[in-house]
Amino acid sequence: MRAAQVVNTLLLKEFVSAFFLAMRYFFAPKPTINYPFEKGPVSPRFRGEHALRRYPNGEERCIACKLCEAICPAQAITIEAGPRQNDGTRRTVRYDIDMVKCIYCGFCQEACPVDAIVEGPNFEFATETREELYFSKEKLLANGDRWEREIASNLAADAPYR
Amino acid sequence: MDFVTTALDYLLGIPFLGWGVQIGFIYKALALLVALLVFTAFILLADRKIWAAVQMRRGPNVVGPFGLLQSFADLLKFVFKEPIIPAGADKALFLLAPLLTATLALAGWAVVPVDNGWAMANINIGILYLLGISSLGVYGVIIGGWASNSKYPFFGSLRAAAQMVSYEVSIGLVIITVLLCVGSLNLNDIVVAQKEMGLAHMLGVPWLSFLNWFWIPLFPMFVIFYISALAETNRPPFDLAEGESELVAGFMTEYSASPYMLFMLGEYISILLMCAMTTVLFMGGWAAPIDLPPFTWIPGVIWFFIKLSLVFFMFAMAKSIVPRYRYDQLMRIGWKLFLPLSLVMVVIVAFVLKLTGWGWHGGIV
Amino acid sequence: MASIKVDGTLVEVPDYYTLMQAAEAAGAEIPRFCYHDRLSVAGNCRMCLVEVKGGPPKPQASCAMAVKDLRPGPNGEPPEMFTNTPMVKKAREGVMEFLLVNHPLDCPICDQGGECDLQDQAMAYGVDKSRFHENKRAVEDKYIGPLVKTSMNRCIHCTRCVRFTTEVAGIAEMGLLGRGEDAEITTYLEKALSSELQGNVIDLCPVGALTSKPYAFNARPWELNKTESIDVMDAVGSAIRVDSRGREVMRIMPRVNEAINEEWISDKTRFIWDGLKNQRLDRPYVRKNGKLQATTWEEALSAVAARIKKAGNKVGAIAGDLAAVEEMYALKGLLASIGSGMTDVRPAMSGIDPSMPRSAYIFNPTIAGIEEADAVLIIGANPRKEASLINARIRKTWRAKNIPVGVIGERADLTYTYDYLGEGFETLVDVAAGKGSFGKILAKAQRPIIIVGEAAVSHANLGKQVGRDVIAIASKLATGANVAEGWNGFALLHNAASRVGGIDIGFVPHDGGVCSADQIALAGKGELDVLFLLGADEYDMSAMGKAFVVYVGSHGDQGAHRADVILPAATYTEKSGTYVNTEGRVQQTARAVFPPGDAKEDWAIFRALSGAIGKPLPYNSLAQLRSALYAEFPHLANVDEIAPGKVADLGKLAKAAIKTKSAPFGSAVADFYLSNPIARASAVMGECAALAAGLRQAAE
Ligand code: SF4
Ligand code: SF4
Ligand code: SF4
Ligand code: FES
Repeated sequence: MRAAQVVNTLLLKEFVSAFFLAMRYFFAPKPTINYPFEKGPVSPRFRGEHALRRYPNGEERCIACKLCEAICPAQAITIEAGPRQNDGTRRTVRYDIDMVKCIYCGFCQEACPVDAIVEGPNFEFATETREELYFSKEKLLANGDRWEREIASNLAADAPYR
Repeated sequence: MDFVTTALDYLLGIPFLGWGVQIGFIYKALALLVALLVFTAFILLADRKIWAAVQMRRGPNVVGPFGLLQSFADLLKFVFKEPIIPAGADKALFLLAPLLTATLALAGWAVVPVDNGWAMANINIGILYLLGISSLGVYGVIIGGWASNSKYPFFGSLRAAAQMVSYEVSIGLVIITVLLCVGSLNLNDIVVAQKEMGLAHMLGVPWLSFLNWFWIPLFPMFVIFYISALAETNRPPFDLAEGESELVAGFMTEYSASPYMLFMLGEYISILLMCAMTTVLFMGGWAAPIDLPPFTWIPGVIWFFIKLSLVFFMFAMAKSIVPRYRYDQLMRIGWKLFLPLSLVMVVIVAFVLKLTGWGWHGGIV
Repeated sequence: MASIKVDGTLVEVPDYYTLMQAAEAAGAEIPRFCYHDRLSVAGNCRMCLVEVKGGPPKPQASCAMAVKDLRPGPNGEPPEMFTNTPMVKKAREGVMEFLLVNHPLDCPICDQGGECDLQDQAMAYGVDKSRFHENKRAVEDKYIGPLVKTSMNRCIHCTRCVRFTTEVAGIAEMGLLGRGEDAEITTYLEKALSSELQGNVIDLCPVGALTSKPYAFNARPWELNKTESIDVMDAVGSAIRVDSRGREVMRIMPRVNEAINEEWISDKTRFIWDGLKNQRLDRPYVRKNGKLQATTWEEALSAVAARIKKAGNKVGAIAGDLAAVEEMYALKGLLASIGSGMTDVRPAMSGIDPSMPRSAYIFNPTIAGIEEADAVLIIGANPRKEASLINARIRKTWRAKNIPVGVIGERADLTYTYDYLGEGFETLVDVAAGKGSFGKILAKAQRPIIIVGEAAVSHANLGKQVGRDVIAIASKLATGANVAEGWNGFALLHNAASRVGGIDIGFVPHDGGVCSADQIALAGKGELDVLFLLGADEYDMSAMGKAFVVYVGSHGDQGAHRADVILPAATYTEKSGTYVNTEGRVQQTARAVFPPGDAKEDWAIFRALSGAIGKPLPYNSLAQLRSALYAEFPHLANVDEIAPGKVADLGKLAKAAIKTKSAPFGSAVADFYLSNPIARASAVMGECAALAAGLRQAAE
């Protein structure tokens, strides 16, 4: 027993077998996705960057009901509401999401009665400064405009299961 | 004029051979430096790629084709970053440490023969010089750890010092066994000796020259040298000096930007130096593995770097397959296993040489 | 008494009780929309259906059926009602489904969302689906004034608003037009409501059909911090709840206090909140070269201190309408420390003498006591403007008992019929002599209430004697031969929250001091060097001559414009202050938000100033100040209680000799909506005032 161990040690048996094991993996196909050039599939339910959507006629959907603000467990959403200048309808004066606080739980989009706030498929919104992650209403609406097609098709894909 | 030449003599450690030779010498040095740095850059990439491949990753593959230019991108990054010097650090020493490490590692290369006679300084005590230079390397680490004026670097450098000193001893003994066989301290001679005598000659198949090399007769020494070289250069599995789980990044914790890069560079160059020593001592240096065309058509320097890369590949594989040692295990192996083993080997080798008369030109005994 | 079994529990209740009240007595909860404790029964929402045994075998509206309407069983078993049987459940679900047939799915944009009876009851008693697939009806929104916003699609026709306006507010301006599908609540011809209590329909409306216009879409009930406090817009001291978010007061709501405001508040109380944010003084100012310049507290205080040290005891102080007891006490202490007794909280030339007993300057019968009165005489007051909730009480009593009401002074629409007796002092003398039909009524009355307005006791042009004489005559009327034992009908109606508290702690001329009008006159003559205005803006600022005026207050109003130094202070929502209402009831406000900018609580300003002149007041915290205050005036420690005035004291006053021949009585409040600095800073109040002025012009 002991002698066998000594021989094994002297001949570096473990090292050599580990070496051949490692070589097997060395030549095995790589599961890594070549990220910036290829991307993994994203579920229609993926909860990425937030966006505020508009109706097809360009009217913003959000009606300042504040349900998203109320439900947000991270208290990341801040809304100030008031009657809109021109027609007196209920709109947000300010709609901020602190993307640094947000935990991407998706409660806000569940709470929204008009599908205004949604978490889109985009997860590549890293910024250089922290301030850029304090999303304002303009930024969120712009997101909505940019991602509307994807968001709409995702919502449609998920609709039968709701 | 005399004064200048004498001074140069003194400084470079070689006789003044006239201005032409002297300037040629500087060109040679520059060429080696550049080649070495470029080679290091790719070795760095190779290290990462090998590691990644074993872990079924791709490794760096974005900068340049297959990520070949990654190291140059890193270089740019390090150079453009802001070097941060901690408020409590000893500024002069703090900056000196990485410089020292890098310079010493490069200096070691002065005596390495990359082809027959192709050494910056083909001196007779080449192997002693190398031993000395690589022992000095510990100063860079110690100074860096101490100058950072912070706990983790200090612990890291203490560990590194203890570890390097321990393994130096067995490395020294291993080298002695080789010297016993060759009977010369000149690195060039060591390689030539491996060509002119050995197993292949004894078996009557002199063209199978890879059988001549010392790795077969001195196999245990070869293994000890390989492991000690890992420890000497703080490579995994002996990278306790920068064990991130307990010491953040060891003696490099407080370093950033170019000083950090110099440390890295120094480390990798001394790793390469160790690989080169392995090549020279045990793998026949620039000699072709089979002494027949077409192998002999390939210049020796290419063979040298191929062998060097092979040894480095083993270094990299060790990193990816062996878990890090505990510190007490590390010390135990060094003092209780390698030291007696190599001592015994020195004695055995000496006896065998004495009894058989083998050895180059009769060997040293 | 009758007995009835509610869900099997036997209860004894008066037989005039409705089934709903009986259920409440038994602890069973019954949902409702149209029924309201303080309004007449309408019985038109049907949400309160219950099952009865001993009555018709169909679901019964419990709010409209009395216990005595049920027959006992054949063997005399008590009648029974059930609130939790399947039949009741089905009935409620059916009613709810019908109510929701035409109710829009508006909750997300409705300001009532989160505090809506319909939401709550639909959750509790409704079903989660509708079988109605036709179009919902659409009703046009009505304009009913700048305060109440309508969204008539949401109306469930409970008619609470109609009943409130006709019954409590006394304006028959709202009604339900049309029948069935065409029924609509409207003010006929899109007229703005003219009541000063109209804001209450917002609370009454069980759905979001009537909501607050100034507060529209501003906040959700769940984000608001609720602070229970006291209103200081008039001397009534209504119980309010201040809803704030962050550093902002978002709205003001009523609280129930049966003794004072029941559950109503006036519009000024409710909609004043935007005035709390506008024109605020948030930094100290010092006048340099004729211009007010913002500065630091240190500089401002040392500027004042320097002047006070030079002035010796030629320092006066006038407290305005909104001052709390604590700050008046601190200011009085400050002046006392430099030997000045020139403090005044009363309007110019008030007949209320510092020597008079407490019963001569409070509303002795108490507000709740109005309901026991058998005759009311109003002298020189327009209670509808000066104290809307007292007016509502008079109206309530008038509606219940049809008591005779007489008015001497201004002729105004008080929402109930009254005998207009005359304009001035002579009429009062006549009535006191028992002349005329009302004089006789009053002479016979056992529980008369003589409401003496501030306009009757303070005559800036005629001097103090007129007021004293009015008090004397009113005391005589209140202590007539037929008056019931223990009844004190002398009711002085103040119209500022600071008055009674100020008089209580002696913030009136003392130790050689003179009254506010005289202080201003002295200042004009250059004989008064420093004049403190503690939120006092209702005085003639041009008459103060070269006096160094220090304005301590919250808003940039008249006083601040005249001031040489402005020390910014807190409003009633930003400090805990004691106020004594016109009844003499001690109440405290609570801090809902912090004062803006550098503004500080008033008492702290005077404490700091006392330090700056080297005579520090002996308290460092509000608690210490209060214990000093309570030691000196123990009745102030009994919050929510009244230290009653003695009738006997009135008897003595009544014997005073009358010197006045004639004097007209007007009303002290010229414009209901603009009576104090906060109201004048409020855009909403400004709009109301403009509208009211316009209405008056249109009527003329
Ligand atoms: S995803 Fe969750 S945490 Fe993020 S904003 Fe929405 S509710 Fe808040
Ligand atoms: S985003 Fe949706 S939930 Fe949030 S306030 Fe707007 S409408 Fe309401
Ligand atoms: S407006 Fe409101 S209070 Fe008036 S009837 Fe309609 S639901 Fe009732
Ligand atoms: S509460 Fe009884 S019918 Fe409305």
